[in-house]
Amino acid sequence: MPLLIDRYSSNILNNISFTLEAREHLIILGSNGVGKTTLAKVLCGMTPSTSVSIDDINPSDIYGKKRAKLINYIPPKLDVFDEFISVREFLELWFISGVVGAQHPTGIDEVLKKLHITHLSEKNCKALSSGESQLLLIASALLHDARYTIFDEPTANLDPQKMQLLFTLLKDETTLQSKVIITHNLDLAYKLGYNILFLEEGAVKFHGTSSDFFTQEHLDALYEGSVKKRENNIVVKL
Amino acid sequence: MKKVILLFALILIAIAPFFGQIDLPISELFNSESMEYKVFFDIRLPRVLLAFLVGGILALGGLIFQTVFRNPMSTPFTLGVASGATLFTAIAIVLGFSTLSPLFAFVGAMMTVLILFGVASRFERYDSSSLLLVGIALSFFYAAALIVMFYISSLQESYEIMRFTMGSLDIVGFENIIILALTSAFLLAVIFKYHYELKLLLTSYEFAYLKGIDVKKTNYILLFAVSVAVGVAVSFTGPIGFVGLIIPHILKTIYKQSADKLIVPIFFYGGVFLVFSDLIARNLGTTSDIPIGVLTSFLGAPFFIYLLIKRKSS
Repeated sequence: MPLLIDRYSSNILNNISFTLEAREHLIILGSNGVGKTTLAKVLCGMTPSTSVSIDDINPSDIYGKKRAKLINYIPPKLDVFDEFISVREFLELWFISGVVGAQHPTGIDEVLKKLHITHLSEKNCKALSSGESQLLLIASALLHDARYTIFDEPTANLDPQKMQLLFTLLKDETTLQSKVIITHNLDLAYKLGYNILFLEEGAVKFHGTSSDFFTQEHLDALYEGSVKKRENNIVVKL
Repeated sequence: MKKVILLFALILIAIAPFFGQIDLPISELFNSESMEYKVFFDIRLPRVLLAFLVGGILALGGLIFQTVFRNPMSTPFTLGVASGATLFTAIAIVLGFSTLSPLFAFVGAMMTVLILFGVASRFERYDSSSLLLVGIALSFFYAAALIVMFYISSLQESYEIMRFTMGSLDIVGFENIIILALTSAFLLAVIFKYHYELKLLLTSYEFAYLKGIDVKKTNYILLFAVSVAVGVAVSFTGPIGFVGLIIPHILKTIYKQSADKLIVPIFFYGGVFLVFSDLIARNLGTTSDIPIGVLTSFLGAPFFIYLLIKRKSS
């Protein structure tokens, strides 16, 4: 059941086509403002288009549980309007539309524990720090359990320990069926080892395996010498 | 705290019909021939019920508008929806269709909601503050159109419009109360049916969408229900401002719970607030009752400014 985008163009993106097979993962790289988030919103149907399909279904055409099951998007920042929605209440909205209070198969407590945020469960979402709210978003992604989950810069606000925790989760093949990870963290991308999609000026510049992407010559060509490969790490020259 | 407030509210509602320009000795209320009996059952009791139902509708309408438009200052009044209803009621009066004024008021309210949505969909990115400004512009436009209505109306019509725009809870008998009770039931039923969607909207449009909700459709249905209810309420009582702004805000501060859990309390205390305001308006000792809209605006306008300052400073 592949995720397919076929010749998508907008004022930011230019002729984007690629396929992501079920149970495969993808990392999307590219400089600021190149259209990564725009692409994510197109893929999950928030920006409607006719170019996207998952198993021949266009996510912007359907509603309810059916679409929620297909694809999910985790934004870089938690956006909650009401100041009195607690972490637990937020997670209780995991997805079964209309069945308020439905029990999740895995259980909210288990997911909270997995992300080491059990102590936050009664806190209001608005009162969380940016790192904590990022972990809450990851928790909601795990509960939602869509076939494709797009993480938009999931590591942006995390301290080193939380970063390690998230890395383990993203690396674990069984966490979610298919993960799409948008990131600026090249070391994370390298260590995860998933296929890479590199965007430049709104177009796909590279789409291939991690080992093809992370050669020094290739990195030099893309990042103008600002990125070095050292033993088992990718480092930014400062 | 909550229980004490509830107790006071219940006592307030229970005693409200007994206060007014003439004293009603309880002993006379059981005599169906007496003047006191008539005043109590034909005027006082319907008036308290009217105040309660209209207050409830306006408060709940405020809550829904705040949720859908994602701004604590969005209410059917600040966004011009009530002004639309007022203008169209005035048009109904001028055209000689006073009896159809609830329908006209609904059309005015709905038209305004459609204009607001039309404008919002043209924004590149949804911006609640700009929409609030659009609502204010619309209110001014409607106010100007209302003045035109005064000019083209006869003396009697213009007096009728004048009384109407000041907001009034004068009512005789229970016919309109039944209509309002049905309208309230309709509004509450729609909100409870979309309870889960409402909760998702309290997070973000994006999150609601990803959980499978048709956000646009849900918003339209909720706003439609509020427009019907506010339209009907305004057509009976005229515009009574600020209830929808004050009540949801105060209740959130007291209850410290998300809005989806406060639907019944907000309806109830919206009603209590208007019953209370009316009680003051009727008992200030002036030769005639002060229009209720004047009183709620006196309370509400400073509160609105307080909200603005608080929002800007935090």
